[in-house]
Amino acid sequence: MEAIANITPDVIETTPSAQQAAPKLISGSEALMMSLIAEGVDTIFGYPGGAIMPVYDALYDYQDQINHILVRHEQGAGHAAEGYARVTGRAGVCLVTSGPGATNLVTAIADALIDSTPMVCIVGQVAKKLLGTDAFQEADVMGVTMPITKWNYQITNSDEVADVMSKAFYIAQSGRPGPVLIDITKSAQLELMTKPFSYERCQSIISYRPRLAPKQEQLELAAKLINSAKRPYVLVGHGVQIAKAEEELRIFVEKTGIPVATTLLGQSTISTDHPLYVGWLGMHGNYGPNVMTDHADVVIAIGMRFDDRVTGDASKYIKQAKVIHIEIDPAEIDKIIRADAPVVGDAKEALKALIPLVEPNDHTVWRNEFRKYDTIEYETITAPELNNPAGKIRMAEVIDLLSTKTKGEAVLVTDVGQHQMMASRYYQFRRPNSLITSGGMGTMGFALPAAFGAQVGAPDRQVVAIIGDGCFQMTLQELGTIVQNKQPVKAIILNNNFLGMVRQWQQLFHERRYSFVELQNPDFITIARGFGMDGQTCDKRENLSDALDTMLAHDGPFLLEVIVEKEENVFPMVPAGASVSQIRLK
Amino acid sequence: MTTYTICIFTENTIGLLNRITIIFTRRRINIESLTVSETERKGVSRFTVVIKHESREEVEKLVRQIRKIVEVLAVFGYLNDEIVYNEIALFKVSTPLGSKPLDVETINKQHKAWIVYWGLDYVVIEKTGDDKEIFEFFAYIKQYDILEFVRSGRVAVGKTEKGLVEYLPEAEWAYYL
Ligand SMILES: Cc1ncc(C[n+]2csc(CCOP(=O)(O)OP(=O)(O)O)c2C)c(N)n1
Repeated sequence: MEAIANITPDVIETTPSAQQAAPKLISGSEALMMSLIAEGVDTIFGYPGGAIMPVYDALYDYQDQINHILVRHEQGAGHAAEGYARVTGRAGVCLVTSGPGATNLVTAIADALIDSTPMVCIVGQVAKKLLGTDAFQEADVMGVTMPITKWNYQITNSDEVADVMSKAFYIAQSGRPGPVLIDITKSAQLELMTKPFSYERCQSIISYRPRLAPKQEQLELAAKLINSAKRPYVLVGHGVQIAKAEEELRIFVEKTGIPVATTLLGQSTISTDHPLYVGWLGMHGNYGPNVMTDHADVVIAIGMRFDDRVTGDASKYIKQAKVIHIEIDPAEIDKIIRADAPVVGDAKEALKALIPLVEPNDHTVWRNEFRKYDTIEYETITAPELNNPAGKIRMAEVIDLLSTKTKGEAVLVTDVGQHQMMASRYYQFRRPNSLITSGGMGTMGFALPAAFGAQVGAPDRQVVAIIGDGCFQMTLQELGTIVQNKQPVKAIILNNNFLGMVRQWQQLFHERRYSFVELQNPDFITIARGFGMDGQTCDKRENLSDALDTMLAHDGPFLLEVIVEKEENVFPMVPAGASVSQIRLK
Repeated sequence: MTTYTICIFTENTIGLLNRITIIFTRRRINIESLTVSETERKGVSRFTVVIKHESREEVEKLVRQIRKIVEVLAVFGYLNDEIVYNEIALFKVSTPLGSKPLDVETINKQHKAWIVYWGLDYVVIEKTGDDKEIFEFFAYIKQYDILEFVRSGRVAVGKTEKGLVEYLPEAEWAYYL
């Protein structure tokens, strides 16, 4: 990142009405606009209100440089910013008002924290002299967001704006990325600065120093373990894509011949047809990768945090293996699984440095052991799900066909539930950074706005959202945002008329007592049409292929509702609290 | 249960106490005592937090979570024998006319406590020391009427020869106890 020194009003182009002789003293709101421009922000997802109106007023003059997108609910702004951030690697920016505007954003902030997504949220606050008086639309946003942000700060003085914003972007995007919230009082938005505006991009903060380059002795220890391993196994998490280290990962595993599994969020880091890729891990992950975890002698975990959905019962997890943990966040080391060789640093830097230290190897025999399980999984689960000409359409068929038709090149944005797991199981990812899903929080309602944000961030890619009928009804109002902004998002509702994932658990663990999981659904296509979006329903297997073609060929956004089998279960499954080798096939 | 003293050096900004205590609360760790003040370095505050815990490993994890806070400069976790530490206690003791006189010599010589204020019919005695010494003195002075008793949190410095400045700002921050 290079410094942008001395951005002054005369350097930044503005519409004629805002152009004045420089240097002039500007308001906090204008300073905010200029800070955003200096950071290269091109898009903001937001929703106005009383306590942020001066900023919206300033924004009016900068519309040609900053594309503001008016969402329908602040949660939508947050998830859209996440989708944008996940495809671009740059912070998604949200702008909302105080009180209810800010609290509506909370779910998305928490989601971004746990999935390490860079985000800068700018929130209006009541005037400084009203702070703490229970003023109209005052909420303790600092207090509320303290545990769910990487950093938050309240600006009460217009002179602070530039420095605080540069810190905000630096913190959100560096090290382990995460959400940052800036609460700015209305008085600070309105008052004039006492000195001319200038902006310098933050390069370091004395108390915050993410370690990027790992220590040599840590790398050497890791290399020694790798070189002497008989059954080494690489577990890849989201951190590899955040570090943009896909290429280094590929070179590393091809040199060492080590099989690679990914976490849910790690999917698409390596192409699913790569000979070293063995599948994904976790509660509903593939059979082989889960079972074989217990057979490895060296586990190389990269940019992942041993979530309990991955480890099952952590006290029984990889007890037999030496663990190398490559991770940028030192607090993740030994948090769940003790590392024999902790490597603290950026995944790209670590892999680059590790490649020359590891010896070429070929672990064919060990790798082939995974394939036995693939066959079992294929025969007991995959084949029956894909080749079942009787009954209703199954989720697997939809994803499988979509995968073929998009050649595995789409950005898949999924919501939370059975359809999420099916999408992960059956989509054959061919390009990096292609699965956007709420992994850590499991936030229903994530997909529609996140798909929109991803489409804004990656206009050249085909973005397809896979959504459950329950999830869709949490944020469906964002159809309006999609239509108004003419984004060609394709959304598929896999409609089983149930909160399917909860129903599955009730079936398996609560004696089929289906407590409040059946939905009386609206006519989704009529709703889409109401928003001005085209769509169609498909409930016959023989029409599915045509329906997908129609959707993909459609110029503009499209909603495809597929009526699927009502009571289908996602397998394999590691029951909660069981160890990963106790994974069930049925 | 082992007693740990966690020293946290931070930038002096609003809201930090909240951010730090959330980390303890979320893990259901009770704070036995907490003292905060600015250090010899301007703008750098020092938190001294005392906790009791069964597992050293969990305390190490806690230390690393605290270190993650952006404004935190350094965190050190200590066992009692690795630090020099003290607390201060004030005792307000009733001394009405005609009551049993205080044995100032015992108070001074045996308990290393000092009378720091003479009121009309009470005195204030200051006692510094570790909690054991303070409670020993408490047991002794109880024979008089204790009107008020207050005890500060612990203050502590590590026994290493390094000064704070040597840890700031360039040092590789210690994550391990
Ligand atoms: C906001 C929120 N509320 C509740 C849940 C719990 N939950 C997880 S999956 C699920 C069911 C999702 O149903 P649906 O969208 O129909 O998808 P399906 O599982 O049927 O594919 C629920 C309720 C959640 N993850 N998020």
